[in-house]
Amino acid sequence: MKKVAPGPGPALVAERRARLPGDTVGRKFWNAVSMRNASIALRQKELGIWRETTWTQFGDHARRIAAALAAHDFMPGDTASILSNTRKEWSFADFGILLAGGVSSGIYPTDASPQVEYLLADSRSSVVFVEDDEQLDKVLDVRARLPLLKKIVVFDMEGLARLADPQVVSLELFEQLGGEHERAHPGLVEERLAARRPEDVAILVYTSGTTGRPKGAMLSHANIVCVLEEFAPELDERDDDDKMAFLPLCHVAERIVGQMFSLQSGARLNFVENPDTIAENIREIAPTVFLGVPRVWEKFYSAISIRMKEATPLQQRAYALAVGVGQRVAELELAGRPVPALLGLANRALRWAVLNNVRKAIGIHRMRWALTGAAPISPDLIRWYRALGLMLVEGYGMTESCAGGSVNLPGATRLATVGRAQPFNEIRISEQGEILIRGRNVFVGYLNLPDKTRETIDADGWLHTGDVGEIDADGFVRITDRMKDIIITAGGKNITPSEIENELKFSPYVTDAVVIGDRRPYLTCLVMIDHETVEQYAQSRSVPFSDFRSLCRAREVQELIQGEVDRVNAKFARVEQVKKFRLIEHKLTAEDEELTPTMKLKRTLVNQKYRELIDSMYRGD
Amino acid sequence: MERAFGETILRLSNIESAYGPVQAIRGVSLEVRAGSIVTVLGANGAGKTTILKTISGIIDPHKGTVWFDGREIHKRDPDWIVRCGISHVPEGREVFPLLTVRENLLMGAFTRRDPQGVLADIDRMYAYFPILRERERQEAGQLSGGQQQMLAIARALMARPKLLLLDEPSLGLAPKLVKEIFEIVRRVNREEGTTMLLVEQNASIALATADYGYVLEVGRIVMEDTCERLVQKDDIREFYLGVKSDAPRGERRWKRKKQWR
Repeated sequence: MKKVAPGPGPALVAERRARLPGDTVGRKFWNAVSMRNASIALRQKELGIWRETTWTQFGDHARRIAAALAAHDFMPGDTASILSNTRKEWSFADFGILLAGGVSSGIYPTDASPQVEYLLADSRSSVVFVEDDEQLDKVLDVRARLPLLKKIVVFDMEGLARLADPQVVSLELFEQLGGEHERAHPGLVEERLAARRPEDVAILVYTSGTTGRPKGAMLSHANIVCVLEEFAPELDERDDDDKMAFLPLCHVAERIVGQMFSLQSGARLNFVENPDTIAENIREIAPTVFLGVPRVWEKFYSAISIRMKEATPLQQRAYALAVGVGQRVAELELAGRPVPALLGLANRALRWAVLNNVRKAIGIHRMRWALTGAAPISPDLIRWYRALGLMLVEGYGMTESCAGGSVNLPGATRLATVGRAQPFNEIRISEQGEILIRGRNVFVGYLNLPDKTRETIDADGWLHTGDVGEIDADGFVRITDRMKDIIITAGGKNITPSEIENELKFSPYVTDAVVIGDRRPYLTCLVMIDHETVEQYAQSRSVPFSDFRSLCRAREVQELIQGEVDRVNAKFARVEQVKKFRLIEHKLTAEDEELTPTMKLKRTLVNQKYRELIDSMYRGD
Repeated sequence: MERAFGETILRLSNIESAYGPVQAIRGVSLEVRAGSIVTVLGANGAGKTTILKTISGIIDPHKGTVWFDGREIHKRDPDWIVRCGISHVPEGREVFPLLTVRENLLMGAFTRRDPQGVLADIDRMYAYFPILRERERQEAGQLSGGQQQMLAIARALMARPKLLLLDEPSLGLAPKLVKEIFEIVRRVNREEGTTMLLVEQNASIALATADYGYVLEVGRIVMEDTCERLVQKDDIREFYLGVKSDAPRGERRWKRKKQWR
């Protein structure tokens, strides 16, 4: 067996760090463009064909946008927002705003117009970039109440050709104007770049806040440069790597670990067509490195589970054997123990004969390593990917720590932990058991909310994460739950619901679950079923159903989920067992307030919204 | 055996039907209660016609069961199913063009053995559709589209069905005629107690006529409810009735995502 060193080693990290100089994001981008010029920066599918954008072209777009912003009296320190799905123009606008010395703020394309109004007003945006007519309409709905908003720039003008509105301009025209302005004012962008200092705010990331209004987390150039120079080099990401950009760019994960890490490493960013084509696009792109959230890993796993149920008995047996051997090897490797020669041989043979097809079916066959974060993941799921031969590692970070925090590295991984503290930040556990982070990656504060900022960053500079956890003797951090999510049952027992929920979510039939029981006599659970797999299950057993609700109500489906709950209950002590459950009978989509942008159920909101349903589980006892 | 009003007379469970390799309906379950009008809404290619053809035995389902009036009828021949009391008014009328109106009606009573009753029923049909009496001796091929549709419905009713399957009766007809035909359909249902399963693209007339509705999208039912409640749903209003919320620009090209709730 080849021995993998924990991490890339200090010399290599230093070399990767030095590869791209610059103490602000804008200056780094400027340097990247002049160093990489004709190599490919981005790819995006247009009319069915993958089109490439070189670093020179990328730089030209961003520079023209910066100049056009300047032409509209956009001053250094001003804010512009971007309301769009993840696509290359998002990145053009993002770096354009940064080159103009501005602050760039992302808005979720699934937000409705009242949220759009709040975010534009709170961030004092004078310019907003919108994706298309749909997003434009949201802004037009509320612009009368946004006196600071001067210009609306539209990426895609389809269906808007006849629109004559002095406030609205296409990106194409906007860039044209920028080009003219730049010719008239040479050296403009250089001036703007010089006007920014590392401690200035670079981007705003609004956190969805399960209670109250979203809060705008201010991340400085120094914050981002810190993770670019000290987190990115820890990962083995190279300029010939292919990445896939598909999570919302307003989320810190895709923004920093996706887009910004590519700036540091030079890895190509391939944009998915839209959020519904992830499964097809990943097979086309076959990324070599990957950042995913648990929902995505669960989805791929479910898809394979369905396919295996439909496979021939021979295929099923081959798959079970190969995954079994793969898992034994993975366990040994994770424990740092040698793999017996025969087992290693069997593993290689089965991987070649069986598992490579599974990897191809998902689109992870070229992947050297992958990172998961942003939400807790079931260790069983990581084990399964490891069995397939994918080096999937879990990390821990948040908006307020600029996506940095702790990470498992290939070769230094401990399952069910989120790895060791990264070199640029300290992690410790407070007396209340809360995880605290201190380092140059810790954010500046929440925009317009000095009190909230003081609550979050204490006098000694520790960021209070709101997560509860522990650190083991070797420095691996284990997250037990969100502080406010800890359930104290009526019996006085402290229970961490996420452990139970993660076990439930490992079932291919369960997309997400929320365990309830705070100040209640026993635990119950709301379950969101996986539409596809459960439908398949019902059909293969001739269970009659019509729409989603009737599927949820089918006796056989209730029994199926009861079986899954029983399986999970067997792993927990009596007080930690889920006594009753209900299914959420609406099919939830990204537009629904119940879901986070990473498609997880929001606990607080679910608790309020389904109060009646929850109460029904405690009645009549 | 007569089913009491309100009792289930037709039940489809997990029906899957295909044309060769192309799966048209993927697990459809629905129920029709005696004496009611039930509609299945859906766009082109949603699988509406396939449902009717599966019920009347023209195509056999790959999976699932069709239960009608006390027995399973799937995989039976169409003529056997007609004798059970199901009449099918196909899409595009398909009257016998060279036979007269009266002969067409007699063809509809082909399975019956009571000549007196048949004659009385022809008169009843003429009462529902007076224009057919006027055109009694004309060849059906010479009738207008609307008249042919009336004839097709009347012909189907001549078999005294317990269940009438109507496939897009509004297709290609002027709005005024559509209204007229649906009024008669409604009257027949109320006066004769004939149960009806109506497949339509014209959602507004179907929802106004029927008691209960299912919405079919690419071979699956995505929503079911009483028609009263269906017309209130946002998705039905926007995607089937063409009602759009006010747009700030006065025109709107993009569509909301369907959520079906």
